[in-house]
Amino acid sequence: MTGILRARAVGGRVLRQIARDRRFLGLALVAPLFVVYLLKVFLDSVDVPFFRAETIAVPAGAFIVHFITYVLTAIVLVRERGEQTLARMFANGFRQREIIGGYMAAYTALATVQSALVLSELAWLFKLDYPASRFASLYLVMWMLSIISMSLGIFVSNFARNEGQVLPFIPLVVVPSLFLSGVIIPVEDLPAWARALSRVTPLYHADAVLDPLLKSGGRLADAGWALLGLPLYGAIVLTLAAFTLRERD
Amino acid sequence: MTDAVVVDNLRKRYGRIQALDGISLAVPRGEIFGLLGANGAGKTTLIRSLVGLARPDSGTLRVLGLDPVREARALRRQVGYMPQAPSLYQDLSPRENVRFFGSAHELGDAEARVAEVMKFVELAARERDPVHTLSGGMKQRVSLACALVHRPPLLLLDEPTAGVDPPLREAFWNHFRGLAAAGGTIFVSTHQLDEAMSCGRVAVMRNGRILACDTPAGLLQRGRTVVRVASGGRTEEETIASTPEALAEFLKRRGLDPAVARVELAADTLEKIVLDLVRREGAQP
Repeated sequence: MTGILRARAVGGRVLRQIARDRRFLGLALVAPLFVVYLLKVFLDSVDVPFFRAETIAVPAGAFIVHFITYVLTAIVLVRERGEQTLARMFANGFRQREIIGGYMAAYTALATVQSALVLSELAWLFKLDYPASRFASLYLVMWMLSIISMSLGIFVSNFARNEGQVLPFIPLVVVPSLFLSGVIIPVEDLPAWARALSRVTPLYHADAVLDPLLKSGGRLADAGWALLGLPLYGAIVLTLAAFTLRERD
Repeated sequence: MTDAVVVDNLRKRYGRIQALDGISLAVPRGEIFGLLGANGAGKTTLIRSLVGLARPDSGTLRVLGLDPVREARALRRQVGYMPQAPSLYQDLSPRENVRFFGSAHELGDAEARVAEVMKFVELAARERDPVHTLSGGMKQRVSLACALVHRPPLLLLDEPTAGVDPPLREAFWNHFRGLAAAGGTIFVSTHQLDEAMSCGRVAVMRNGRILACDTPAGLLQRGRTVVRVASGGRTEEETIASTPEALAEFLKRRGLDPAVARVELAADTLEKIVLDLVRREGAQP
């Protein structure tokens, strides 16, 4: 029995659970669309003349995807721990990397749909008139951010024994992300220590790619080295998540 | 052949709680070994240590000749573990749960094997309903099926019959006896004293220590027996040890007078013996 087959078994099981949990599906797919619509209402009401709404809307959409994916993943993993199904998986011989691989595969399927829906809604609401290649680039960033958010959720779930304990970790990760990532104000305007801290937030790395992409005529290649930020960040968090997924007490 | 389980001076502490306090025991292959004790006695921690889910602070542990922490992968292929809580995916069906946990192992014809265990736990009729719609006893049955599905040579069962009705509990125990007769080893914790009587040996635990480890008959002999002798219209009572030797000694002393019309024996139950053991230990400083 290879590890890949076991990871596939975990992924298949998670997908079956997702497919049957309408509330979860609603939160993962419909809730982001609703929040993006509220964003549109908000930006229409502010009517600030000196920026284009799309330069805020797309990163804000990415933030919404990040937030919801991170929270849902953390809660699902904590539930696995609380109900001792995680311990049972280990006792049956599943390894950390197989469990995380299975989860990532299943949630990547979810992220693929979620990112496509959010980006389509953003394009429709904000009348984004981009060439297909730029949409594809934006989609890639949002999709990667979504996967990284899952890794972050899995990592954080290690520090909570139940769903109640995971709650304090939500603002701890999400709020600094909002303030420091450059979505609201440019990172360069922050003090040096906060600039350093901003590198720890996934949204910073997403915004570093989105920002040049959203400028007129922006191409993915314009992001330069920043393009490496997201996959590198994802690899680090995923490795941390795999190594810290507690097998025994 | 090595013993299935060898534990030597095992200790495990959770914060201020000494969950295991110097446990030593050996279980030969083919034995049904019972752990008896109240909640918090350390039974679950001991079973979790055996499957490598709890890392001991000190002491040595070999299960099927393997170290449960360093050789966890090799060991877990050969162990069927049933936790105290059902530990199932509530939104999946019994069949899907058994199939999923079985997928960690080489099952051969997986579908046929899953169907076989579902039939054994008498859940074939409900095998496609979500687990959350089942009763507590049914969930225990699904959980047992998950532990049995890969035909492990060692079963580690943490209170497997809690909430299971008596006829099915009897079926479980018949199955355990069959597995043990075929060379399988069963390490089972229980609250039920009648189940302890079905074990080859029983360890009585309290506060992370083993107070006694013996066969059920050996444990019974630790009790006292009241002998009532009716002779010539009078009834006399005497309390002796519950051993065959003590009874022989008593009868020799009496010389079995022809006037003795009746001899009644009232031996301590296993429950009383275990409670006395636990109380005596509790009274010690």
